[in-house]
Amino acid sequence: MAAVKQTIDTVAALEKYEHGFTSDIDQEFAPKGLSEDIVRFISAKKEEPQWMLDWRLEAYRRWLELEEPTWANVTHPPIDYQDSYYYAAPKEKAGIASLDEVDPEILAVYAKLGIPLKEQEVLAGVVGAPRYAVDAVFDSVSVVTTFKKELAAVGVIFCSMSEAIREHPELVKQYLGSVVPTSDNYFACLNSAVFSDGSFVYIPPGVRCPMELSTYFRINAKDSGQFERTLIIADKGAYCSYLEGCTAPMRDENQLHAAVVELVLLEDAEIKYSTVQNWYPGDPETGKGGIYNFVTKRADCRGDRSKVSWTQVETGSAITWKYPSCVLRGEGSSGEFYSIAVTNGHQQADTGTKMIHLGANTRSRIVAKGISAGQSTSTYRGLVSAHPKAKGARNFTQCDSLLIGKTCAAHTVPYIEARNGQSVFEHEATTTRLSDDQLFYVMQRGLSQEEAVALLVNGFVKDVLQQLPMEFAVEAQKLVAISLEGSVG
Amino acid sequence: MTLALALKTGDLTQLPSRRDEDWRWTDLRGLIRTAPPASPAFDGEIAPGPFDALAADTILFVNGRQRHAAASGAGDVVALRFVSATEGAGHAATYAIVVEPDTTLVLLESHEGQAAGYMSDVTLDIAVGEGARVERIVLVDDHAEAIDIVTAEVDLAPGATYVQTVLTSGARRQRVETRVNHPGAHANVRLDGVYVLDHQRHADQTTVVTHGGVDGVTGQLTKGVVTDQARGVFQGRIVVQPGADQTDARMGHHALILSDKAEVDAKPELLIFADDVACAHGNTIGALDDEAIFYARQRGIPEAEARAMLTQAFLGEVVERIEHDGARAIAAAWVAQRLGRAQ
Repeated sequence: MAAVKQTIDTVAALEKYEHGFTSDIDQEFAPKGLSEDIVRFISAKKEEPQWMLDWRLEAYRRWLELEEPTWANVTHPPIDYQDSYYYAAPKEKAGIASLDEVDPEILAVYAKLGIPLKEQEVLAGVVGAPRYAVDAVFDSVSVVTTFKKELAAVGVIFCSMSEAIREHPELVKQYLGSVVPTSDNYFACLNSAVFSDGSFVYIPPGVRCPMELSTYFRINAKDSGQFERTLIIADKGAYCSYLEGCTAPMRDENQLHAAVVELVLLEDAEIKYSTVQNWYPGDPETGKGGIYNFVTKRADCRGDRSKVSWTQVETGSAITWKYPSCVLRGEGSSGEFYSIAVTNGHQQADTGTKMIHLGANTRSRIVAKGISAGQSTSTYRGLVSAHPKAKGARNFTQCDSLLIGKTCAAHTVPYIEARNGQSVFEHEATTTRLSDDQLFYVMQRGLSQEEAVALLVNGFVKDVLQQLPMEFAVEAQKLVAISLEGSVG
Repeated sequence: MTLALALKTGDLTQLPSRRDEDWRWTDLRGLIRTAPPASPAFDGEIAPGPFDALAADTILFVNGRQRHAAASGAGDVVALRFVSATEGAGHAATYAIVVEPDTTLVLLESHEGQAAGYMSDVTLDIAVGEGARVERIVLVDDHAEAIDIVTAEVDLAPGATYVQTVLTSGARRQRVETRVNHPGAHANVRLDGVYVLDHQRHADQTTVVTHGGVDGVTGQLTKGVVTDQARGVFQGRIVVQPGADQTDARMGHHALILSDKAEVDAKPELLIFADDVACAHGNTIGALDDEAIFYARQRGIPEAEARAMLTQAFLGEVVERIEHDGARAIAAAWVAQRLGRAQ
């Protein structure tokens, strides 16, 4: 009977967004709205030095002059930037010394999400199992970062952004905003003014980070926006793999998530950045609620032979609008982008990448798989460009879209700009629906229609799943299946 | 927001600029700083057109004015000539063609520059009746300093066939845009293009095909060769509207860049709102294959000749798809001559 019970539970869990619970946690908020005072408030709350405050204020002033962009293939009612909290943090007890002193309610949230925050729990697993260091960001602040000591022993700095500003101002000053300048775009500019936390990673020269680093973002508070900022610096010959996960409660209001991620790679460095994005997508029937995920992610391959790889599984958010990019400056540097974007219900996704080839012999590869179901819209938008100096540049792009149902839409909008005669660009794209023959074949082997769809879809996205770290791949595979629940029949 | 409107009103803010998404690689507002005078009527001699020998009927426009009325419908091979004859002047022309159901038309269109630095804007409306068949060959042979915009709106009835080949050698700024309203319903569309650009010439080939009903077929193949500091632009958009199932649309764009300073920009778009479709596009940009050149050389063919052969064969694939024999021969000779100049 246990197996039957488990099946029933699983089915029940599948029927809804399982991370949609809310937690009643004693929190403190900045007053609603956005003004110079709020920016000062956030900065003061974080006990930031004057230079950081000045940086934020400059960004805020520039933001006031910018206009919200409208070119993306998404529609939403105008966002009222004054009707949101820009700072929401769990109330802190004075001087938390260990994890035991963190509000048990918060720990319960992470336990429910299956995120191990206690180092001994992580270790309690199978001997030799890979370990993760986790930075847990809860609304506007980082609540805990694990394995810091062990990482520090090899020289790796892994901490929250606010801590980095206090402890490593020279690194932050040197690199913050050097990849995504404050006025890069509307949402990056807003983020620069009001960002509250995020992760900071520095890998010293020649060090291979001994474990996977990960950040888990959770939006909890109502009417709040999350604006985190992540900065990863891989010094010469360094390597790290970084994972990012995100969830939010189910609410009828839209919440804004405008993050900025900057990666800096010096000579021979390598960063593998994986995202499993599962923000609340809104009500599948009415499209009410959900997260607006407007994110700027960019990697700057400054050093020769550096390598960056973006892998993303986008299943959540009411609206996704992000283009993880690679600026391939160093000679022989390479960039990769592997993406799965699944949209269902009323979700809208306009996502893709930019590969900007500036250096000689730079290489890039794009594999993007979009799956649309329900009444959703999914757009791949990508830019590949080669500068006249990027002799020997090479790009291969493949974007495939899969449509499930009559009312969804899938678009492919690639931009290719070749400015020299010694580079080779290849691009191919297809749009099809699930093949009836394949479905029939799998179903006559005894699978239900939904299982058959899940199986075929997983086959469709296999190329990308293979790029994810193992534990994530399993998770992502399930997520893709869950996101498509109810999309056929 | 068109060149025609700006020429008419003198209001340069009517020009599309690079901030307009569909014109990002073909900026007119940044280029045209002063409005040119309107082209005067021209009654001088006009050189023979490229397709004169093939057509039974000729419709001639000079400086945007139709010179003499043609006996329309007299033949199924019609030459349509747009000649710009006055230096530094601007003009616009519009022309409408209605193709009756179950008839065929071969439209041999040429845009000819007989002066330097003119601005020309031509708009064509082509309505193709049920079961009718149209082949349109567009040869755009502009002066290097010209600015030339050619736009065709093509409206197809069910069961119609529309095939088109655009051949251009570019200009200071040039765009040939074709917008096809595709009803599905066993209508068949083929849109091909060739561009051969040298020096600082610019050519933009833009197509928009909107599938509005079930069972439509669209095939597209555009190829280009650019050298020196030339710039080729290809924008292809296929839209499949809700309900336009069983659409089969394929688009290909391939370009060769033969110098270090030339540029090719491409945007092959698919906007799909129906699920039972097969749509694909492919895009490649690169240099000539070194291995193919090596192979030819070790067979005793000098490098320059090998390059010429490979380039010509590359473009030949498109030219060979032209169905009208006479037009195909003229197009092949034109491409060969242009390539000879470009290398």
